[in-house]
Amino acid sequence: MSTRKPYVRPMAGWWLKNPVYVRYILRESTAVFVGIYAVILLVGLLRLSSGEAAWNNWLIAMQSPGAILFHVVAMGAAVYHSVTWFSVAPKVMPPLMFNGEKVPVAKIVAGQYIFAGIIYLVLLGLILWG
Amino acid sequence: METIKADIVIVGGGGAGLRAAIAAAESDTGQSIALVSKVYPMRSHTVAAEGGAAAVTQPQDDLEYHFNDTVAGGDWLCEQDVVEYFVAHAREELVQMEHWGCPWNRKEDGHVNVRAFGGMKIERTWFAADKTGFHMLHTLFQTSIKYPLIKRFDEYFCVDIVVEDGRAQGVVVIEIATGRICFIQARAVVLATGGAARVFRENTNGGIVTGDGMALAYRQGVALRDMEFMQYHPTCMPGTGLLFTEACRGEGGYLINKDGYRFLQDYGLGPPSDEPRNKFMELGPRDRVSQAIWHEKQKGRTIDHPHGQVVHLDMRHLGEKKLRERLPQIYELAEEFMGLDPAHEPIPVLPGAHYTMGGIETDGRTATSLPGLYAVGECASVGIHGANRLGSNSLVELCVFGRVAGDEASSYAKSARNSSTATLEKKADDICNRVRGLVNNANGKERIADIRNEMAKSMEEGCGIYRNAPVMQKTCDKLEELKQRYRSINIEDKSSAWNTEWLLAIELGYLLDVAQAVACSAINRKESRGSHQRLDGYEQRDDQNYLKHTLARYNSEGPPGIEYSKVKITKSEPGIRAYGEAGEKAEAERNKKKGAAHDK
Amino acid sequence: MTSNDKIIEIEVLRYRPEQDEKPFLQSFKVPFTDDQSVLQGVQYIKDYLDGSLSFRWSCRMAICGSCGMMINGVPKLSCKTFLREYYPGKITLEALKHFPIEKDLIIDLSDFINKLESIKPYIIPAAPRTLEQGEYLQTPRQLDRIAQFSSCINCMLCYAACPQYGLKPDYLGPAAITLLHRYNEDNRDAAKAERMQLLNAHEGVWGCTLVGYCSDVCPKDVDPAAAINRNKLNSTMDYFLRFVAPRGGN
Ligand SMILES: Cc1cc2nc3c(=O)[nH]c(=O)nc-3n(C[C@H](O)[C@H](O)[C@H](O)COP(=O)(O)OP(=O)(O)OC[C@H]3O[C@@H](n4cnc5c(N)ncnc54)[C@H](O)[C@@H]3O)c2cc1C
Ligand code: SF4
Ligand code: FES
Repeated sequence: MSTRKPYVRPMAGWWLKNPVYVRYILRESTAVFVGIYAVILLVGLLRLSSGEAAWNNWLIAMQSPGAILFHVVAMGAAVYHSVTWFSVAPKVMPPLMFNGEKVPVAKIVAGQYIFAGIIYLVLLGLILWG
Repeated sequence: METIKADIVIVGGGGAGLRAAIAAAESDTGQSIALVSKVYPMRSHTVAAEGGAAAVTQPQDDLEYHFNDTVAGGDWLCEQDVVEYFVAHAREELVQMEHWGCPWNRKEDGHVNVRAFGGMKIERTWFAADKTGFHMLHTLFQTSIKYPLIKRFDEYFCVDIVVEDGRAQGVVVIEIATGRICFIQARAVVLATGGAARVFRENTNGGIVTGDGMALAYRQGVALRDMEFMQYHPTCMPGTGLLFTEACRGEGGYLINKDGYRFLQDYGLGPPSDEPRNKFMELGPRDRVSQAIWHEKQKGRTIDHPHGQVVHLDMRHLGEKKLRERLPQIYELAEEFMGLDPAHEPIPVLPGAHYTMGGIETDGRTATSLPGLYAVGECASVGIHGANRLGSNSLVELCVFGRVAGDEASSYAKSARNSSTATLEKKADDICNRVRGLVNNANGKERIADIRNEMAKSMEEGCGIYRNAPVMQKTCDKLEELKQRYRSINIEDKSSAWNTEWLLAIELGYLLDVAQAVACSAINRKESRGSHQRLDGYEQRDDQNYLKHTLARYNSEGPPGIEYSKVKITKSEPGIRAYGEAGEKAEAERNKKKGAAHDK
Repeated sequence: MTSNDKIIEIEVLRYRPEQDEKPFLQSFKVPFTDDQSVLQGVQYIKDYLDGSLSFRWSCRMAICGSCGMMINGVPKLSCKTFLREYYPGKITLEALKHFPIEKDLIIDLSDFINKLESIKPYIIPAAPRTLEQGEYLQTPRQLDRIAQFSSCINCMLCYAACPQYGLKPDYLGPAAITLLHRYNEDNRDAAKAERMQLLNAHEGVWGCTLVGYCSDVCPKDVDPAAAINRNKLNSTMDYFLRFVAPRGGN
């Protein structure tokens, strides 16, 4: 008989045991809000296609306090999601070379914010002047 | 007890053992190889080697130079025919490592780059940043996976060699995970168990470097050769003894005393220059540099430190960028273990026990005096290091002679026959009972740690950088006492699975035997040579009486018997061993003489 | 040790397979000085308080990869984590998470070893080279592509950090994928196509959900998360290339 008796520890509740895991679960769950928001927009699009009355009702529904609250939360979730993704993005891509040197991670992350900022400005421009 | 059959058994999964296993697997005999290691191979202490591996590489270099550096570095106690073989095969072995994927540092054109090392005339040290041993070991381990003939026994602890009919015919091992003892029967046994610097207190070695193979062969009557030659590395971390590689100096680091003065110029290694110069100053050989630090301490020119008197390794002038690129691990060690930034502060260092030049006596083909038993790597004394090893020669030794050992063991195993398995199993059973008895009967009052610490302290006092007879005698006596006390050792843990206390006790037994061989060999060598330096009237080298190898023979009743054997000299007659300016002069003289001899 | 030693409490999750049904915590009081590591702390326990405590260690210099353990819930090398960082609080030690415990702080890492062996961690050249031909050429830039990923010491901290490995032990995991990537990226090697099959599998890169903690705990800055996630790109490309050129797109 072997004297070995390896003990396997249970995984239950693992994601509460380390703040890193909690943040990870948060990042993943924020994706749910982004998803729901996409569905809402899709519904809006459908309404738009089924006539002006339907569209107006949708717009009114969107102004209810509940909807506004949801939008604020969804906005927070989306920002959290983007921030955490921006910070892991350098790992997902092959090393960026510039003049034969690796571009430092901090610069890549900063680059993403600048890029996102530019897109917001362009969108804002389109809405205001478009 | 289970019997496992293999054609060849190799004990040791470090650089030497792995290289031997691959060589045996590549031979065309199709023999099975059992590779036994008490730790997973990539944990072996080869992993800690930092600096590099030497081979003649540059066009202006020459095998003759590498030969001369090695023989003079070893203070003429090298087997010169073996050194000739060694330098001639060094480069091809490093190229082989390259083919297997070792990430050597490169020059812009894609060829392998070399760096300067102590005691070497021309830069010839191949390096993989400052983790050369780590990369070589992982490369060898990963490559070994390619060969189905190699069957690994990871975390199996070897407790004895089975000798029958005057031949080594297998080993007895403990499977650490279960405590089960098995017999691995084989027709050839290769020991590649590494060094023994753990017999000293302040040392650069890992906890596993306890001289196991040396003790095993020694107890079977094979001589331990030149054990008095223990290398002290000059630049170690105070307190822990962790190493700052010689490459720190190869890359241009200075050694300074408390006045900021590069003191090596006072010890025949000058004159100083800003840029590193081969065989000058900080690139002198290790024995000389360690000895100089000792003298500085006597003169009161060292610096006080909680862990003793230190000097400074100063690399500030090299700048952060170069340090991070060439010496990243050193940077990390200084930052994390000592909390200092080597680009802005000097590192306090002191000498620590580092390398066992001596070992199991073998011939130039790694065969010991016991048929069927081979030894290779730091546990062996194949004859290339003499009285002082040059840095970066031993990693190459692992490859060059690892390969030889694999080839030799495999051709021996082809013709050898085993005695009847029943006879061998009977022997193995006796060993098994003895080893189990150790744990079952260990109910004395002696604590393992106490004996180990007293041994290490006594070795440091008696067999340190400078030695004299009265203190060495005290160490010899102390070791006798400790061996007595070892008999009433206590092992609290009586379990089987992962009983590391049992293993520590067995290792302590190995350490005590090896320590005794060191101390008794030292006290009998009445001269100063290489790393063996005396202060009691034997300050000079004495070729008349001591141009010989020491052979220590095991004696179960007391101190070992000491004998001597001849040194093989082929082309380099013992001469003045000098470095710095004096070294250049001595070399010119030698060449003149040689030229004259040629003209005649 | 000096006389003004401080005393720290070290709590260890003990498990002795021949006696215990399950692990339990045991507390020890250990004197220490500021330069002492957690490893030296457990060595003290073994030498003077309880000889049966078992753990792996060797090099003491963060290169052999033996001494990983959970230190206050975080996977770390005990030889380069210092007792002073926790004083006057206490330290809790546990065997690396996500691995079976063999005894006390010792884990069973045979699963990783099998994975390491499965990824063909050796150079498979396009055409073998003889020793007379000398070394392969590799520029410093080519070396740079593999340097970081070849510095893994197999310490298993990243596996202890990876919940996906805990949940799905079949997942190849950070260090094995990193090593695979190291050989794929080596300009001397030509077996990328063979190894990609392992990566494309469910147990390959797609087992990773980018928790990213593996790279945070890695003591050697190997950044296994980067190796894994770059290969998600490679694996996707590989997948589409096979549609375009069904024989694997070279
Ligand atoms: C810090 C440091 C830095 C160094 N730097 C350099 C350098 O830059 N250049 C250079 O040339 N040399 C260097 N050296 C020296 C060189 O690294 C060693 O001499 C060499 O690595 C020893 O290799 P080995 O294979 O003989 O033994 P090791 O690598 O020590 O392997 C011994 C093997 O034997 C096994 N073993 C031991 N006992 C048993 C047993 N009872 N049962 C089963 N298995 C057992 C172990 O598990 C291990 O696998 C350095 C040494 C140190 C300590
Ligand atoms: S990748 Fe890092 S953490 Fe993981 S095993 Fe390798 S060295 Fe350890
Ligand atoms: S003891 Fe080797 S890594 Fe910690």
